[in-house]
Amino acid sequence: MDYKYTRVGVILLILGVLGVVLNRKNLIIMLMSIELMLLAVSFLFLKISKVIDNIIGQIFTLMILTVAAAESAIGLAIFVAYYRIRGTIGVSSLNLLRG
Amino acid sequence: MYILVLFMPLLSAIVSGFFGRKIGVKGAGVLTSSCIVISLIVSCCIFYETVLNSSVTYIKLWRWFDSELLTTHFGLQFDSLTSTMLIVITTISALVHIYSTGYMSGDPHIPRFMSYLSLFTFLMIVLVTSDNYVQLFIGWEGVGLCSYLLINFWLTRIQANKAAMKAMLINRVGDIGLVLAMIKIIEEFGALEFSTIYSLLSLNQIGYINKEGITIICLLLFIGAVGKSAQLGLHTWLPDAMEGPTPVSALIHAATMVTAGVFLIIRSGPFFEGSPLVLTIITIVGALTALFAATVGVTQNDLKKVVAYSTCSQLGYMVMICGLSNYSVSLFHLMNHAFFKALLFLSAGSVIHAVSDEQDMRKMGGLIKSLSFTYVMILIGSLSLMGFPYLTGFYSKDLILELIYEKYYIAFAYWLGSFSALLTAFYSIRLVYLTFITNTNSKKRIFIRAHESNWNITLPLLLLAFGSIFVGYFGKELILSNIIPPIISNSVKVVPLLLSLLGALLAFVVYDYISLKLKFIRIRGLVEKAEWRGLMLDLYYMVYTFFNSAWQFNYVINHFIVLNILNFAHLVTYRIIDRGLLEIIGPNGISRLLIRLTQKISNLQSGMVFNYVLIMIIFTALFISGYRYF
Repeated sequence: MDYKYTRVGVILLILGVLGVVLNRKNLIIMLMSIELMLLAVSFLFLKISKVIDNIIGQIFTLMILTVAAAESAIGLAIFVAYYRIRGTIGVSSLNLLRG
Repeated sequence: MYILVLFMPLLSAIVSGFFGRKIGVKGAGVLTSSCIVISLIVSCCIFYETVLNSSVTYIKLWRWFDSELLTTHFGLQFDSLTSTMLIVITTISALVHIYSTGYMSGDPHIPRFMSYLSLFTFLMIVLVTSDNYVQLFIGWEGVGLCSYLLINFWLTRIQANKAAMKAMLINRVGDIGLVLAMIKIIEEFGALEFSTIYSLLSLNQIGYINKEGITIICLLLFIGAVGKSAQLGLHTWLPDAMEGPTPVSALIHAATMVTAGVFLIIRSGPFFEGSPLVLTIITIVGALTALFAATVGVTQNDLKKVVAYSTCSQLGYMVMICGLSNYSVSLFHLMNHAFFKALLFLSAGSVIHAVSDEQDMRKMGGLIKSLSFTYVMILIGSLSLMGFPYLTGFYSKDLILELIYEKYYIAFAYWLGSFSALLTAFYSIRLVYLTFITNTNSKKRIFIRAHESNWNITLPLLLLAFGSIFVGYFGKELILSNIIPPIISNSVKVVPLLLSLLGALLAFVVYDYISLKLKFIRIRGLVEKAEWRGLMLDLYYMVYTFFNSAWQFNYVINHFIVLNILNFAHLVTYRIIDRGLLEIIGPNGISRLLIRLTQKISNLQSGMVFNYVLIMIIFTALFISGYRYF
């Protein structure tokens, strides 16, 4: 078994998570980090589908790509709408709903 | 007929209490008095049947408590003890009722007063006629309640309120003893009827019955008697209860209610016979009470308080002689005492009535001319109280002292009793002297207006005076028929008599001499050895204050018991436990805790997206790792 590429996928996923968690400034970076996580997951799916010799992983990857495209489209649309109202899309200005 | 003696006072109480507005002031007086007089006649018939014809009567009315082994009927028992008490209660009560119609005239609440008096009489009759302890307890609590209502009759006076509460609460201390005794009796005997218990007690010699149990029962019963009969320790309510109207004092605190404690001891005689220890305690407490109250009575200035302390002292005699197992002598003294003490109280009421409700003896004096009838009455009462020969008190009081002298192991009770006989004579004569004989100290306006009251005040006095003279002579064969007077030398026999006469003479001489000497000093300005005199005066005032404030009992009890309990109630049970612990563990603390917790939890939702993500990831990680382990 070849763990080299698994490590790459996991490291990418963790980088994406850290990008969401540690990012305090820019909403676009957050969206990009989410894209990165989805890519890392797709990568892992592909790798495992190769290893266990099963096509379902690749079908899932295609699905995830579709979902990721839709998600980034909707997300960007929300950002644009938000920017129109507030004039900024800083993460720290998103704190209107508190517990 | 036997139930009629119970029914008539109840009827008059109900009618006068609920329909007082309808029958009016005069109607209430006439109705209640006549009802009690009927009750008196009936109780005379009962006395004839049960004592003279010696036929004890038991009446079972209905079944009351019926659970497993314990069956208690609501029943009446008329034996010689009950019928003697009945005679005493109904006589004194009837005379007090008649007296009250005169004494209370002008008071706006006479029907209520009469109703309370009749209710009191009813409950006292319930107490003495019961054939078991529970029913006795009804009467026991009932007379306590009525004493509260009657002491508090003038309910706008704060002192009357406080005195009534004190009477009720101190009596309640004794009542707890009686309740505990009843519980212990059920545990030991499984019955509450006198007849059952006393026939079981006759097995005592064989050893079937637990000795310690009997001692505990006796002690608890005695605590009950101490509360009701105002023995040393729980006596402080009796002098304070003089706040009520004078007929109330005569009825409750001379003749009936305070004798309930002695009645309980006499009724429970078979118990006390099983426990020599408690008998000794009873003798000691009784003797100390007699001495204590006599010393205090000497220095009181309130006319009614002198008589109240003498009641306390005489109750000490009765309890003391119960401790020597001479129950019939105690009963005899109780009967005689009821007559002359009611006479003293009612005469005192007559005096107070005549001098426009002035109770202080220092502001009286010289009333012998204007109140000569009352003077004779109060003199008869006082002579009877101090055991003057051929009067009622002599027959029982001297017998008590003789019987105590015989018991060598408790000789000090004899000397305490004899010394209190001296003091009794002293304060009786002091009372008569200060009120009637000495030069007047009252205002001229009052002194001139002093006059005898009308017939319904003087007639009861006259009848009670006859009672105070003759009851001892006539009653001694009936009640003391089983008592053999002890054989003691003549010199001992005359000691109490000599002491009484000495005390009487001493009072007369002291007060005559003091008033003369004061004049002498005032005229001549004679002051010799000033510092020596000052020292003597200091000592005198110290002793006088000590006795005048009743050995500081009130102060000690208030300061060391009542105040501490009040503080404890406020600081510990209210502030620490109720408002503190229970509220923190209970509703307040839990709600505060929950609010703080939820606020902390909701602070997690800060509105920052990256925080949400962090929380989501942490919990997802926890969930996945937990899933692996389960």
